[in-house]
Amino acid sequence: MNIIVVLLPLALLLALIFVVAFIWAAGRGQYDDLETPAHKMLLDDSIGMERNRK
Amino acid sequence: MNPKALSRHNLFPARRLNAAPRHQPLLCTHCATEVAGTEKSSHAPDEPAFCCLGCRTVYSLLNSSGLERYYALRSQTGSFSGSKPVTVSSETYRYLDDTEFKKKYAREDATSMDFYLEGVHCAACLWLVEKLPTLVAEVEAATLDIGRSIAKIRIKPNCTFAPVARTLEGLGYKPHAIEHNEQAELLQKKENRSWLIRIGVAGACAGNVMLLAVPLYSGLDGQLAADFRWLSLFLFLPVLFYSAVPFYKSAWASLHSKTMSIDLPIVLAIILGSGASIAHLLSGTDHVYFDSLAALVFLLLSSRFVLRRIQQNAFHSSHLLQFLSPSVAKRVDASSGEIMEVPVNTLKIGNVIAVEPAEALPADGIVQDGSSAINCALLTGESVPNAVGAGDAVFSGTVNEASTLHIKVTALGAQTRLGQILLQIESGSLKKAQIVTLADKTTKWFLAAVFIAAAAVIFLAPSLSEGFTRALAMVIVTCPCALALATPLAMSASLGRAARAGILIKGADVLEKISQAENIVLDKTGTLTVGQFEVLDFSQVQPLENFKETLCAIESKSKHPIAKAIVAFLKPQLEAELPAVTGFKELLGTGVEGTAHGRKLTLQPLREFRGTAVGIYWDEALAGEVHLGDRLRPDTAQCIEALKRFGLNPYIVSGDNHGAVENAAAQIGIPLSQTMACTDPESKQRFIEAHERSIMVGDGANDALALSTAFVGVAVHGSMEVSLRAADVYLTRPGLRPVVELIRIGRETMHTIHRNFAFSLLYNLAGGMAAATGHVTPLFAALLMPLSAFTVFGSSLIGTRRRQT
Repeated sequence: MNIIVVLLPLALLLALIFVVAFIWAAGRGQYDDLETPAHKMLLDDSIGMERNRK
Repeated sequence: MNPKALSRHNLFPARRLNAAPRHQPLLCTHCATEVAGTEKSSHAPDEPAFCCLGCRTVYSLLNSSGLERYYALRSQTGSFSGSKPVTVSSETYRYLDDTEFKKKYAREDATSMDFYLEGVHCAACLWLVEKLPTLVAEVEAATLDIGRSIAKIRIKPNCTFAPVARTLEGLGYKPHAIEHNEQAELLQKKENRSWLIRIGVAGACAGNVMLLAVPLYSGLDGQLAADFRWLSLFLFLPVLFYSAVPFYKSAWASLHSKTMSIDLPIVLAIILGSGASIAHLLSGTDHVYFDSLAALVFLLLSSRFVLRRIQQNAFHSSHLLQFLSPSVAKRVDASSGEIMEVPVNTLKIGNVIAVEPAEALPADGIVQDGSSAINCALLTGESVPNAVGAGDAVFSGTVNEASTLHIKVTALGAQTRLGQILLQIESGSLKKAQIVTLADKTTKWFLAAVFIAAAAVIFLAPSLSEGFTRALAMVIVTCPCALALATPLAMSASLGRAARAGILIKGADVLEKISQAENIVLDKTGTLTVGQFEVLDFSQVQPLENFKETLCAIESKSKHPIAKAIVAFLKPQLEAELPAVTGFKELLGTGVEGTAHGRKLTLQPLREFRGTAVGIYWDEALAGEVHLGDRLRPDTAQCIEALKRFGLNPYIVSGDNHGAVENAAAQIGIPLSQTMACTDPESKQRFIEAHERSIMVGDGANDALALSTAFVGVAVHGSMEVSLRAADVYLTRPGLRPVVELIRIGRETMHTIHRNFAFSLLYNLAGGMAAATGHVTPLFAALLMPLSAFTVFGSSLIGTRRRQT
């Protein structure tokens, strides 16, 4: 059971990292428009392809 | 069509449409509209077909710039269901580069502007708009927000916006520059982000607290258990002091205004719950509720946020539609006579403007030159267009029907008749009937019941301290989690559903009001009818040769609205060229006469027969009759039936004449006693005030006052800006069908909310009973709360699922 003393802080640290990452992403407006990126994802590689071709 | 485009065309799935057998409709390669007329007859079988020159131009433009992937993408994403044919207006968009205009519309560096694009429909449009830099050399970058149809376009320094806007229009996306309130936008963005962060923090903390709670509930004890409880306290603190702040604020506000809100019992539960838990933690007992409380805050925050986003979207969409009104006027230069496009807000009184057919008038004025017919349907509700000539007064918001007019501006903006109505609405907007929502009413009773029960428990428990513990447990466990979730969940599901059906609802309480409405007051022109003056019936009494040709030729000489309507009706039926007309004469105010094909016809109005009718006389004898009017929309009668079945009392209140109103009422089965004709905006408003709990449905400026005072105001498709502003609901699809849908959604939402309330009260009753008898443990609370929340969630989902079928 002693391993929990290591695992628990580790788990909480991991959670903290994700919370900080989320705050950073939300604060920079990554969740402002929830619709367009979903469409863009489908187009991304075609745009990339054409860029390479040029 | 260049050869490259033709060879590539084989790759496009669009070809499938064209290769279809002859009996299937030939569809336009660009917009999927059926190809007809001369375009169809001149079409070669193995070439792409187009419905109009506009679509053909777009197709070849895309092909020659290497952007033909648009068509492939469009069919890949599968969301394309056809668009409008591309029409290119004569607008030059030169006003976009006006310094004054830029100051108002462009972002601070004057190289970036936001446009609302009409006709954006799928991912392929997104791709095309963002490819704008390869199409127009002036564009530095273009991004599109597809949910709101707003494109942000940045141009290179020392370039102009006009060519960009022209290209966009050429692609079929008519651009409208958007004036943006940067501060308000920024504030909203910031608020949305901070909500998200609050939700994120609450979610992370709640998850971890629950994780820690699992070993505690499975029997962990000793030092480790105490450590876990302390740890959950620390994880709970961010929720208590950061995430839950919006609830404190709104509870404080409702205390301040002495009104009841669901946030009061929530805050009570949070504060009592965390206070009691901390006290128990310090005294070493195991009654800590951190997990339940954190989950409560997370669930409530999330449901509120979803509702908020949906409402913001509806508000945005209806706000954007206001830009569809004309923002450009064609000013005639006094000295040179040259016509220049200028933004409407730079016009001055005394300027002369040119208004072309099918354009709306941007200002009030007096006709200086030209004669035409003016459609006042949106301003006054009259369905018969007025004939105007030099010296007649014309008003902003009406539409020129026949030929170009030169108008001397006499009033602008707030001074126009339209502006006056707008002012009245803005000053009177606070008169709106408020309702006490079902949630608030329930909360009041709920709160009283919990307190009485808690007091009873204290005195009835075996000992006073045990009584306090049980009462506390009761307050915590009966916290109205499900009750608070019931309304937002059902509302957001319904608002989303309504938005997909083309119904934009500006506030959540509108749905509740709809279910309480008793009357529905309908405007006639444009709401029940199409709003276009046209020929309803044509009959020939005497068998004359070339009768239609002769009649059409004579009427085409006149600019009177009746003549225009007759020509529009007859022209498509005729194949031969129109014969020459001699001896054409307008008989002052009564009709016309003329000779063609060697036959002299006289047209005179017949005695009013529920509307407008014209008799055609040859040699003093009646040769034919034409009945004209505003055609009812095909589904109107059916929709009125449906509305009656909902128990609503239908009324027609129109600005049109008695005959037209009576005619319409008779056709759709509304008794004459429930109609009112020849009304002005004020009498419409009085009618609404006299009939409480009325839904007003209208489109024109004359309806706007009534819309703003009505219990619920619904602006139909094609409404004027003032009506949009005054209404609570805006329909993006024509006809009454969406009104029926709206009422159905309103009713069903309330059913769902009632069911949700029943469930949550049931859970609370069970929880309260358990607490009163001392059986509530933290585990019990931890199970009851999510269970009740998910029941309500499921119930809301079922409520909307049934609606979708």
